[in-house]
This record gives sequence, structure tokens and C-alpha cells, in this order.
Amino acid sequence: MIPENFIQSNLQGISFIGPELILTLAILLILLVGVLLPYWRHRILFTILAVAGLAGSVLPLWKLPQPAPDLTYLSNLFVWDWLTFLSKPFFAVVGVLTILLTQVTGEIDNSEYSECTILVLAVTMGMMLLVASTDLLMIYLAFETMGILSYLLVGIRARDERSGEAALKYVLYGAFTSGTMLFGFSLLFGLAGSTDLLAISQKVAFASQHPQDRLLLIVAILFFLAGLLFKTASFPFHFWCPDVYEGAPTPITAFLSVGPKAAGFVLFIRLFYPLFATGHDATIYEAVSGLDWPSILALVSAITMTLGNLAAIHQNNLKRLLAYSSIAHAGYLLMGIVSLSDLGLRSVVFYLVVYLFMNVGAFAVVAMVASAGGSEEIDSYRGLGARAPYVCVAMAIFLFSLIGLPPFAGFVGKVYLFAAVIYKKIYWLAVVAALNTVISLYYYLRIVKAMFLEKPTETIQIQVPLSSRVLLLALLVPTLGLGIYWQPLARVVSGMF
Amino acid sequence: MTDLIFNVFILLTIIPCFWVALSSNIVHAAFSLLITLFGIAGLYVLLGADFIGVIQVIVYIGGILVLIIFGVMMTQRGKLLPLSIQLPGKLFGAVLTGVILAALLLSATRTLWPVAAVLGEPQLTSAAIGDLLLGKYLIPFEIASVLLLAALIGAVLIARRSVRGE
Repeated sequence: MIPENFIQSNLQGISFIGPELILTLAILLILLVGVLLPYWRHRILFTILAVAGLAGSVLPLWKLPQPAPDLTYLSNLFVWDWLTFLSKPFFAVVGVLTILLTQVTGEIDNSEYSECTILVLAVTMGMMLLVASTDLLMIYLAFETMGILSYLLVGIRARDERSGEAALKYVLYGAFTSGTMLFGFSLLFGLAGSTDLLAISQKVAFASQHPQDRLLLIVAILFFLAGLLFKTASFPFHFWCPDVYEGAPTPITAFLSVGPKAAGFVLFIRLFYPLFATGHDATIYEAVSGLDWPSILALVSAITMTLGNLAAIHQNNLKRLLAYSSIAHAGYLLMGIVSLSDLGLRSVVFYLVVYLFMNVGAFAVVAMVASAGGSEEIDSYRGLGARAPYVCVAMAIFLFSLIGLPPFAGFVGKVYLFAAVIYKKIYWLAVVAALNTVISLYYYLRIVKAMFLEKPTETIQIQVPLSSRVLLLALLVPTLGLGIYWQPLARVVSGMF
Repeated sequence: MTDLIFNVFILLTIIPCFWVALSSNIVHAAFSLLITLFGIAGLYVLLGADFIGVIQVIVYIGGILVLIIFGVMMTQRGKLLPLSIQLPGKLFGAVLTGVILAALLLSATRTLWPVAAVLGEPQLTSAAIGDLLLGKYLIPFEIASVLLLAALIGAVLIARRSVRGE
């Protein structure tokens, strides 16, 4: 029997998942409109519906009570803390930018456009649920909602073999790694007899005192890492990344490089820290005794950034180059996770916000140049600076920000990440990261050099429509603004942990 | 007696797995998977999870596996590309699998698992599962339906494309 108070508490908890409910409504509405108006499949209509859904999904957040670390709802499946509260608008912005980018570049065919917006909304809903979940069952369900629907998004482009190949590679890697992670979940469920993260963390802390149980914890941690490192595109689960990023439609590539990647890092904070680190109230955490996973992750971080940057040097396709750059950035972001401190977690969140604007910006320029008659190869960027100055200056700013040069936002983000590892006295990692920044200068500046210093090899006319220019401006403002006046964001982020 | 049946189901589960992985004939592999999935259903029932056991038979054997076999039979025209994995890859895979297997076996035997005492006859579980699905796990249940809806839309999109592409 279901007791009366169960229904009551479920009804009360519903208000906390308002954003997800509104997104679901928007999905159904787009589906209905797409079915009822088959001959009038106007892109702009679906764009407006999707953007309105995403914008509307954020509105209920401000009517809810003050977030608190122990405020759980819906039978303890979700938690309402600052991380949840601030992640939801973040993912809504990711969704809005993706949909606007598909609208202005026209990369997705009209016949697939409504389905594309539905899938973007559904993945966004999955990511919003993922960051709020505190139950292994719910975490896995949200993880797969994000995963399975991203595979579909990668393979959405018709008549394109590369897109299909990319989708298949993504599915195979994704199925393997998420299956491995699920095995890890089952091991911890067997140990604790519960799927609730709080109950499991108590049991893990208890088990880590017993030598017999330590091997199981090590296996569980490694299996968890498989899923998380795949989503964040880190070594040794990064092989899919260049092929998938190159084969997917560019707006979807931009989406994957900031959405699921950010969700992976938030999952580190939401899942990994409570389970395998102790001392949640202090500003410094400790790895569960007997298991030195921070050292493993530090090594992974160093290898990831070095590998990504070295591989990026030889790339001539800009999407592939940015894919390797996004692998390198996963390495930088892992520095914050490694540092086991609130400072580290803050720096990760801060960098994710900054990275959202600069990385989507870089991909947006690639998509705009390709749709305006150019290609994704670096050759078509030769001498582009004279013919499309606005777009090229924007690209240069995004690239400078990705390098981490002042006065752009990427610089501030990197300073926080470096500060986190130096504060924790992991100097070698800071040195590796600094050397990597120097390597990355080479390939980012290669693009800038091609745009402004080289003579054009072909004379394609680049006409960028006004809507694209406005979207670029919307991405430029935070990239520049957060580089000069970042205190508001820093204050918001420091309130989280 | 229960131990004997348990061991039979374990052998039924594990032995066909070798055919699934090693057989070069994909139809044989699919049929071996059928026996494996049946063995798993038997294990579920022995663990007192009657509902899951039946679902395993209906969904995996009755639905998914039949689809796999149909898919294999209907698409297998012409020669299949032989999968060739180089020796270093095979060696690396063998070492990695061996290490993971050893770690899992060791941790399975060493760990102090919390074991609940079994009281009397096994209970019917379907009522309890129904309570949970409409109680504590109502929201995950609903979210799974949204996931299925979106996946269905995506699947239709991909299938439609191949028809139009001809």
C-alpha cells in the first residue's frame, strides 16, 4: 500500500522538478506541432518553441526555497543545493546556444529540425536531472538519458556517412563505459544494500577501514572512473572524441563539448566526492583511506592534457583540432578535481562557465564559416581576416581565451585552476599544465596566423548573416566581460561549496 | 538440491558465453546468447526475484533476442567483413581482461558482504515492485518514459532516412 504522506511528499517535491516538467511540456508541444503542421515545417517556429521552453524552465527556480545541502526531495532521490540550483540555468544556456546555433547555421535539414530540437531539449533535461540526483538508480537513468539521446544527435544528419560512423563509434564506446560504470554501481550496492549516496558513503567510509574490503573499493573506483572519464573525454577514454566531434553536425559538436562534458565534471563533484572523499564540511577533503585515487587522477590529468595538445598540433581540420583542444581542456579541468579542496571545486565550476562561452564561440565560428561557403579545413581560413573581419576577430578572441591569455575569461579560469593545485602543493602538475599552455599556443595561433597573416588560396566570398553576428556578440560579451570583471561569477561560485 | 540447480543455471549462463564471444558464425553466437539469457532468468528466480525472472524471459528472450536473430538473418546478405585484431591488441586485451577478472574474483571472495537472513518461503515480489514504481520511484519511472519517447523519435528519424535514401 502507498501511504497517504507518500503522495503528499511526492506532490510537494514536484515543484522542485519544475524545470524538467516545463522541458517535457515543450518537447510534447514541438512533437505535436511537428505532426499537425507537416507541410509548414518552419525552422523558426521550432526554434522559438524550444528556446521558450528552455527559458521558461529556468523561471520556476526563483520561486523555490533557499537551497541547502541537506534539502532533499522526492523520496531522497534529489538534493536541492547550490550546485543543483546553479547547474540548471547553466544547462539551459547550453541548450539555448545549441538551438540558436543550429538555427543560424542551417546545418540540420528542415526535415530533421523539429526532432533535433526535441533531442536537444531531452538531453538538457537529462543533464538537469543528473546534477540533482543523489541516488544511484536516478543517476544512472539520467546518465543514460543524456547518453543515448546524444548518440542519436550525433547520427542525426542524413546522407552523411561520417555522421553515421561517428554515431556508431560513440554508441560502442558509450555502451562499454557506461556498462562498466553500472558494474561499479552494482558492487557498491552489494556492499551497502542501498542506492542512496549518503547510505553508501557511510558504508564506504566504514569498509575502507577493513583490509578485506579495500580491493572492492579500488575496483569500484576504477569502474566509476570509466564512465566519468568517457563523458569528460579524458585519457584513456578519449579515443572517440576526435571522430565523433568531426562527424557530428557542428552545433551538436559544440553541444557535446560543453554539455555532457560539464555534466561529467559535475558528476565528479556529486558522485565521486561524497563517496570517495571525506570531510564535506571542511574546505579540504581527504581521499578515503587506503585508496590514493587523487594521485591516479593527477596522472590522468597530466597525460590527458599533454596527449590532447600534442595531437592537436598536426590537425588541419578545425573540428578535429578543437576536439583535441577539448581533450586538453578536460585535463586542465581535472586539476581542480585532483586538488581535493573547495577551491578546486570552485575553480572547476568557474572554468566550466567560462569554457561554455569560449568553446561554443569557437565552434560557432567554424559552423558559420562552413555554412557561408568555406570549409572546416584550415586552408579555407587563409586570408579570411580581410574578407570577414568581424568573424575572424571573434575567432581570435575565442582562441586567445582558450589559450588562457589575459584579459580574456579563459585566463581567469586557468588562474583559479592553477591556484587550486599549487595551494595543494602538487607543483609538478602545475608545471606540466604550464608547459601544455605553451604547446597549445602553437596550434591556436596557427589558425590566427592563417586568418590574418597569410594570403588567400581561394577567393570564396564569406557572407555572414546578421543573426550569426548577433549570436557571436552574445558569446563575445561574456568571454570578454568575465575576463575583466569576474568577481560576480566568483562570488556566486564561492557560495556553492 | 538448490545448490545443484544453482550450479546448473550458472553453467548454462557461462558456457554459451564462449560461443557468443568466439564463434565466427553470427547466427550461432545469437543462439548461444539465448541460452545465456535463459540461464540468467533461472538465477533471478532462484534468488527469489520471480517478477524479474519472468520479465527477463519475456523481454530479453521473447523480444530482444528474437529481434537480434531476425536482424542477423535478414541483413546477412553477401560476405561479412572478417574481424581482424592484431596480435598486440589481442595480448593487451587478454592481459587487461585477466587483471580485471582476477580483481573481481578476489574482491568477490574477500569482501565482507552484508548478508540478509532468508526467512521462510520466498514472497511474491510483483506487488512490492508495483508499490515502489508508483511510490518512491514514481519520478524515475516517468523519466524513463520521456527517455523512451525521445529515443523512439530518434529511432524513427534514423529508420526514415534509410527508406528515403533509396
